[in-house]
Amino acid sequence: MKVVIEWSHAVSQGDLLSRVEVISAYPITPQTHIVERLSELCASGQLKAKFLKVESEHSAMASCIGASAVGARTFTATSSQGIALMHELLHWASGARLPIVMCNVSRALGAPWNIWCDQIDSLSQRDTGWLQFYCESSQEALDTIIQAFKISERISLPSMVVLDAFYLSHTFEPVDIPDQERVDRFLPPYEPKFKIDPKEAKSFSSLTAPDTFTEMRFQIQQSMENAKSIILEVDSEFHKIFGRSYGLVEPYRCEEAEMVLVTSGTVTSTCREVIDQYRNDGKRIGLLKIRTVRPFPTEAIRENLRGVPKVAVIDRNISFGMGGIFAEEVRSVLCNEPERPLIFGYVAGLGGRDITQNTISNVIEYSLEQDQPREDVLWPDLRR
Amino acid sequence: MKEKEKITFKRLKDIPPLSISMGTMLWNKTGTWRYLKPVYSSKTPPCNEACPAGNDIEAMMVLVKEGKFREAWKLIKEENPFPGVCGRVCFHPCESSCNRKQYDEALAIQAIERFVADLSFKIYQEKSVGHLKRKEKVAIIGSGPAGLTCAYHLARMGYSVTVFESYSSPGGILRIGIPEYRLPRFVLDREISEIESLGVEIRTNSQIGKDISFDDLKTFQAIFIAVGSHQSKSLGIEGERLEGVMSGLEFLRRVKEKEKIPIGRRVVVIGGGNVAVDVSRSAWRLGAKVQMVCLESKEEMPAFAEEISETEAEGIEIIPSAMPIRITRDRGRSKKIDFVKVKLAEPKPDGSLNPIPIPKTQFTLKADYVVTAIGEVPNLSFLPQEILIEKGLIKADEMGFVHPKGYFAGGDVVNPQHTVAGAIGSGKRAALAIHEYFQGGLLKGKIRMVWVGEKGTISLKKYFHPPEGETNPPVIYFPEINLDYFEHQDRVKIKKIPVENRRGGFKEVSSTVDREEALKEAGRCFNCGVCNGCDNCWVYCPDLAVKKKDDHYEIDYDYCKGCGICFEECPRSAIILMEDRR
Repeated sequence: MKVVIEWSHAVSQGDLLSRVEVISAYPITPQTHIVERLSELCASGQLKAKFLKVESEHSAMASCIGASAVGARTFTATSSQGIALMHELLHWASGARLPIVMCNVSRALGAPWNIWCDQIDSLSQRDTGWLQFYCESSQEALDTIIQAFKISERISLPSMVVLDAFYLSHTFEPVDIPDQERVDRFLPPYEPKFKIDPKEAKSFSSLTAPDTFTEMRFQIQQSMENAKSIILEVDSEFHKIFGRSYGLVEPYRCEEAEMVLVTSGTVTSTCREVIDQYRNDGKRIGLLKIRTVRPFPTEAIRENLRGVPKVAVIDRNISFGMGGIFAEEVRSVLCNEPERPLIFGYVAGLGGRDITQNTISNVIEYSLEQDQPREDVLWPDLRR
Repeated sequence: MKEKEKITFKRLKDIPPLSISMGTMLWNKTGTWRYLKPVYSSKTPPCNEACPAGNDIEAMMVLVKEGKFREAWKLIKEENPFPGVCGRVCFHPCESSCNRKQYDEALAIQAIERFVADLSFKIYQEKSVGHLKRKEKVAIIGSGPAGLTCAYHLARMGYSVTVFESYSSPGGILRIGIPEYRLPRFVLDREISEIESLGVEIRTNSQIGKDISFDDLKTFQAIFIAVGSHQSKSLGIEGERLEGVMSGLEFLRRVKEKEKIPIGRRVVVIGGGNVAVDVSRSAWRLGAKVQMVCLESKEEMPAFAEEISETEAEGIEIIPSAMPIRITRDRGRSKKIDFVKVKLAEPKPDGSLNPIPIPKTQFTLKADYVVTAIGEVPNLSFLPQEILIEKGLIKADEMGFVHPKGYFAGGDVVNPQHTVAGAIGSGKRAALAIHEYFQGGLLKGKIRMVWVGEKGTISLKKYFHPPEGETNPPVIYFPEINLDYFEHQDRVKIKKIPVENRRGGFKEVSSTVDREEALKEAGRCFNCGVCNGCDNCWVYCPDLAVKKKDDHYEIDYDYCKGCGICFEECPRSAIILMEDRR
């Protein structure tokens, strides 16, 4: 059934359908609508979950860790300074192998204060051992929440579902709400392999000596690697039931492309239109949307960009002293390829600045014109 | 899986995906990391050290707090046969030294002791049964607090005891000196009857040297002399022998005997000690207007502060820093007493007061009756010469041993500070001395083992049931209490009959606290230095190395890392932290 809802509420709806058992969250713009809706669902009894009010995001994540450790399906949502405050516990959640699902609505980090879209908050948490899914639409957000629980619970690692602030969180669009019976079939109740159980006392996450630590880190890396095939497996199972799938990456009109744009999140939709115009004009420009940042879809990127002469990566984030993080990652997975493309790294749309069709055209034109990028980091919407 | 076996993962696939205990960590004896070691070690609470009678006050508070009143009563009785008396007339040095005094107010120890004693009488009616097993016989001269305490403990040890009392009923100063409004007769009677029920024989109307000769006592293997101090000091001034001038003790005895005393309307009491106070308050109750005159300033008066404040509350005028010069007849029964104001100089070489008259400060008071109460001394004229007397007191050591062998002395005849608790303590020390004497020992070296603190009070419980560990641990003071665990709480208010209802009778002024008040008050006790099972150590130990064992805790040193949290968090410093030399 299709309904017009706010994208934030699509996330809440995903939690409702996933039969989340514990939610612990602290409000922060632009994430607040998600947990507001969840608290209403809890209050009305529609969602039979425990909603924990806490005094900070740090406590929210700590509560989630506790709840997940006893075997509850657990969810939280946050943004910006909030996820930064959670940082040490994000490491803890993954190290403890807890399948928590979090929605992060990407927003810039201060100073200066800025509440608008910027991917740096979630990308700053790239190395915490969480899976990261970057969503383009509210349908994808809803579907990814449901998928994320299944994936996380299979590999015992937490997932972060990332939405662009306002472009995604505060916009209304039609969303197909799956029916509960089919979701239940897709996502059975969580049954952890290990959980805190007073009947069988064990100590969790206690001191682990150098003789075992490396092996335990290796196991996480292995799980992340395995996650790629599991994401695809779950995605295809989802497709069978619901008719929608998203993959690790999504190539769009990349056939014989002389140049491919690499994007993530909502800017992808804008790019699709620009690409269509170029294709209509007979220009072979393609688009590659990256959906998962962790695990990074190395093989899929290599495969899709093999033989492409030029690649332009648009980053809505900046790692100061290096550049856009997607560009950096794409470069690194291609560096050992025998036929690697020329890579242009563009940083645009920071702190909520719109990435317009015009900006995208400038990116394409510049990349086509230049034999070499004049700089490693290019700023197409910078006001000089 | 064996409990203490260490699991070693050989291959990657054996390792669980998350850090989870597969076995126990008992193989890891973290106690080897320790360089400091916590040890449960009781300290001596300051109240216990201060109690001349040697009561285990702290332990009594634990029992009272738990509602174990009968056990509390039995515990006191291990050391002191007179809780009902002490609960009323003791000067409670325990309260003066109570650590809680520095936090809010001292614990009302005396009130709780009185409650326990009164309740035991009302409810338990438990009579001790004497076990006369030993062959030795002991004579005790004097049935005051020292003599009866000695008799009580000796009887409990199995000796046969005969007490000789010159007066017609037993109790000594408790019987004839302390007024009814402070110590009702029935309280004394019941505690003496408990002593008698042990088989102690009390022969009244038996004054040694008059009714019975001292030589007749030689059939006893030991003699304890505790005749008290019943001879009033004289003023040594003109008019002291006039009719209507009487000594304090004589006055108090007659009041207690309900003899009619022609005190008239106005009474002047000379003296600043407790006897003078008792006389003044008794005369006031008989209807007179009373003035009390003493050499000392108010601050220097030897009477207990509480007694002085009650005296003034009752409207008795205290005229300090004045010395009587002469007493002369006025008209009829009336007398004139001339005084001069004085300043006290350094005491004389013998320790007595040294008043210096201030010129032109004479004044005169008129009275129908004059009572002198400037101090009492023992009358020791009945003793054979072989017993040494020094400065009016029998020469005895700290335990009451007197030369020659077989003689012992206690109470006011050895101690110039005349207190009931002090007399009880000396009676107890003498009982132990006599016991040791019969056992062939002289207690040398052993005495410290039964000391409670450093002020000479002893514990018979310690003597008969020596504690494990340190026998006389150091006293614990206020800074060692962890105040984080105590809330401020008001001390119990003891009800007293209003001043306007006190005249014309000798009804007891203060009342016994009730059960709830006693429970609450005992709950205020810090239990200084003694584990009361509060569980703090057990709760806080991060290594679960504190184990509960029946009624106490034990530390599992295999796993105690010596972090010292138990030591820090013990509210009462019952744990010490020492260097662990290994």
